[in-house]
Amino acid sequence: MTDNAARVIGRMFSDISIAIDAHKDHLTALDGAIGDADHGITMSLGFNAVTNELAGMDLDHVAASAVLASAAAAFLNAVGASTGPLYASAFLQAAKVLEKSETLSLENHVEMIVAMTAGIQERGKGQRGDKTMLDAWIPATEAAIKAQNDGADVRVLWNEVIHAAEAGANATRSMVAARGRAARLGERSLGHVDPGAASAVIILRAMKNRLDFS
Amino acid sequence: MTVKQAQPRKNVSSKDNPSEPFDAMPLRYGDDPYVWACWLYYEDGMTQGDIAEAMGISRATVNSYLAEARERGIVNISIEPARLASLTVAQELKRHFGLVDCLVVPSDDKARSLIERLGGAGAQALQRLLKSGDTIAVAWGRTVLSIGERALAPGLQDVTVVQATGGTRASFGYTPELCASSIADAVGGKLINISAPAIVSSNDIRDMFMREPLIESQFQTLARANKALFGISSLRPNSTIHTSGFFESVSLQDYLARNAVGVVAGRFIDGHGRAISGPLDERTIGISLEMLKNIELRIAVAGGFDKVPAILAMLRGGYANVLITDAATARGILNADGVPEIDQRGAHRGRVDSLPAASKTTQRIYTKKFLNNPDRVVDELLEGIVKSHVHLLHPIDKSHRALVARNGPRSGKVGLVIGGGAGHEPGFYGYVGKGLADAVAIGNIFSSPPPGPILRCTEAASGGEGVLFVYGNYAGDVMNFEMAAEMAEAKGIPVRTVLTTDDIASSPLEDREGRRGVAGNLFIFKVAGAACDLGFSLAKCETLTRKANDRTYTVGVALEPCSMPQTRRHNFDIGPDDIEFGMGIHGEPGVVREKMMTADAITDRVMDRIFSEMKPAAGDQVAVLVNSFGATPLMELYILFRRVEQRLNAKGVTIVANWVGHYCTSLDMVGASISILHLDDELTVLLNHPCDSVTLKMS
Repeated sequence: MTDNAARVIGRMFSDISIAIDAHKDHLTALDGAIGDADHGITMSLGFNAVTNELAGMDLDHVAASAVLASAAAAFLNAVGASTGPLYASAFLQAAKVLEKSETLSLENHVEMIVAMTAGIQERGKGQRGDKTMLDAWIPATEAAIKAQNDGADVRVLWNEVIHAAEAGANATRSMVAARGRAARLGERSLGHVDPGAASAVIILRAMKNRLDFS
Repeated sequence: MTVKQAQPRKNVSSKDNPSEPFDAMPLRYGDDPYVWACWLYYEDGMTQGDIAEAMGISRATVNSYLAEARERGIVNISIEPARLASLTVAQELKRHFGLVDCLVVPSDDKARSLIERLGGAGAQALQRLLKSGDTIAVAWGRTVLSIGERALAPGLQDVTVVQATGGTRASFGYTPELCASSIADAVGGKLINISAPAIVSSNDIRDMFMREPLIESQFQTLARANKALFGISSLRPNSTIHTSGFFESVSLQDYLARNAVGVVAGRFIDGHGRAISGPLDERTIGISLEMLKNIELRIAVAGGFDKVPAILAMLRGGYANVLITDAATARGILNADGVPEIDQRGAHRGRVDSLPAASKTTQRIYTKKFLNNPDRVVDELLEGIVKSHVHLLHPIDKSHRALVARNGPRSGKVGLVIGGGAGHEPGFYGYVGKGLADAVAIGNIFSSPPPGPILRCTEAASGGEGVLFVYGNYAGDVMNFEMAAEMAEAKGIPVRTVLTTDDIASSPLEDREGRRGVAGNLFIFKVAGAACDLGFSLAKCETLTRKANDRTYTVGVALEPCSMPQTRRHNFDIGPDDIEFGMGIHGEPGVVREKMMTADAITDRVMDRIFSEMKPAAGDQVAVLVNSFGATPLMELYILFRRVEQRLNAKGVTIVANWVGHYCTSLDMVGASISILHLDDELTVLLNHPCDSVTLKMS
């Protein structure tokens, strides 16, 4: 039995939720170094709310885009904070991609990554190098576009995406925060990986594991 | 170095030459200190301290050996597979459906029937979950009766057990009356029956029953229930729904034709948990599905493979938040909902979890807090606030995340909406009332509320003249309040915003807009609330509020970090002799770290910083706030205030109003902040304007 796109997206969120839960303490510890130590808790809460919301949906009779839109609303309502609007915008933008064609083609994988990054960037008005989640999302997007232009297959493309995201997240170690609460720390934020970038890698990795088999 | 034999222990002989630490290791362990440490710890049951002495190494090294041994697979901890499986599947159900709790009984017990085992588990759960003062609604069913026969909850006071449905003339052994009375007996509770039939012959008769004062009062008790206990029936041919004779078979066919898959408290639901309307609805006397969903803790007990679709539907509909079932059924539910590979996931999660813990060599220190469920801290806090201040504010909706002043919004007045994360109590509900804010939106701990509750506050506060948002300048708050403002504008409510930026230590003067809002909020809310109450226009309210913000100066100092209820661990490290200047109200590390100094030296540092921006002249007037971050007592706050007054007095500056106490806290952080509002004539009038809120009262 092959899953429809809505189910794949539903499972993808379940995977993300499990992966975030597994790294909850780690994310919270990263945030304790430069923020208010709640990033792991917040992300876990948000994705658990998404999973619970999707558990109540009839995934055989809804569009994949509707799953993403519901995930956006559930995440936002459970979380608030800054991650709430940022990821809600990301999922809503991804939903718009699937509204045009409800398939999980490779083109749509790339377009979804592009759209999610655009959603985060628009809402948070952030840039590359600000030491935020965008330092993982922007390189991931660039890698996805490049791999697609090079004619990479789904496996190769997602590997490139993850490599770029990981490299981007690690690079935040040597950045001075320009946005979010860490920004008040000035150069004391040096030497710490941004928790938002770290969780972005976890999310992308879970997406990869679900989408490159579909 | 000597090896002390402090503790008697079995089968380990000490060596006679203690000069070489590792001599203490018998040959049979090879030369691997990891194995040696593990043997002493796990097999001999020695403490880490004793092992350290025995091996001649530090306690921290023992700790790291043990951690690394687990990581390297030298030690494997195994749990009996059947028990582990039911635990894993329970965790998965809890996570997937967002349950408060889930209890799964192993499926390997052949000695007792499923109903008996579920009854036993339900009885255990009831003992843990039922508390003094509870009102519990009890539905009927074989499993519920089985719980009643096994439960024993001594020592409870003021428990009321109310029958969830009317009674029946059918002659099965687990009627609604029997189920409720067996639970009442078991917990020593007061029993309230519903003295009417569960199903009557017509709509009119039901309405007549419901108007009877006796039945009306019984339903009032039912509506007060804060806990519920119920089973789930499937609609398969041999299920109790058919055999009990509770429902007429004609009606059952009708519901089946509409895709009913299960019955919850006498009501029919489809595969997605939606209520199915049918011929019995108007003739049923009992709890409705809506009433059930409003109950705080809803315990469903059901098992058996034939019930999987019914239980899944019940979970999808959100009718229960505690599930008690058996392992086979639990796995069936997850499979039916497309959650595969439970065992692999459980194993995977365990492995990842152990990594960060294993690398820690220092002992974790947990702070003590008054907690029930760490995930429900904010909800329980808000419940307390709403009950405590019932005359001043009330919740806009069930969630309590949006509170409105009873005597606040009125037509012709600009509405004032404030808000922010929890953890700053009495920020910010304490500033809601007449002459202050009209409504407040509350988020999770240290997290902005989402746009939903902010929008509800805006609508509640709107009196036709627009709404002013005043909140601290944090990225999250800005995004959520901006989204809410866009939604409000779309509904025709004009919104203006003033971001508070009083923390002068958080950014240099050139980046004034980048500063965060902290305890000085009190002054800014006060001025904004007065301006709104005086009936000024939205634009004027905004201008005055901005002026208050521009003239408020705050600097905070932290002595010890705070700890989040979910982790109960300090959220950053601070040296034993260190203090942080520029500490905000979220436990973010401060801006400059210094060595501990006297109270006056700290106050002087803060006041010098404030004076450098405020530039007061002799004869100026100010308001002063000395605010605790949570754990610093009033005693020390007055010591700080004393010095603040001396410094202002020396400059010829008059304090016309002051507040000393907990006004904007950071959970249990030790520390304080000093805020000064540099008054002018206009601001003085607004500051003295009457107000009535939880925290600020002026007449």
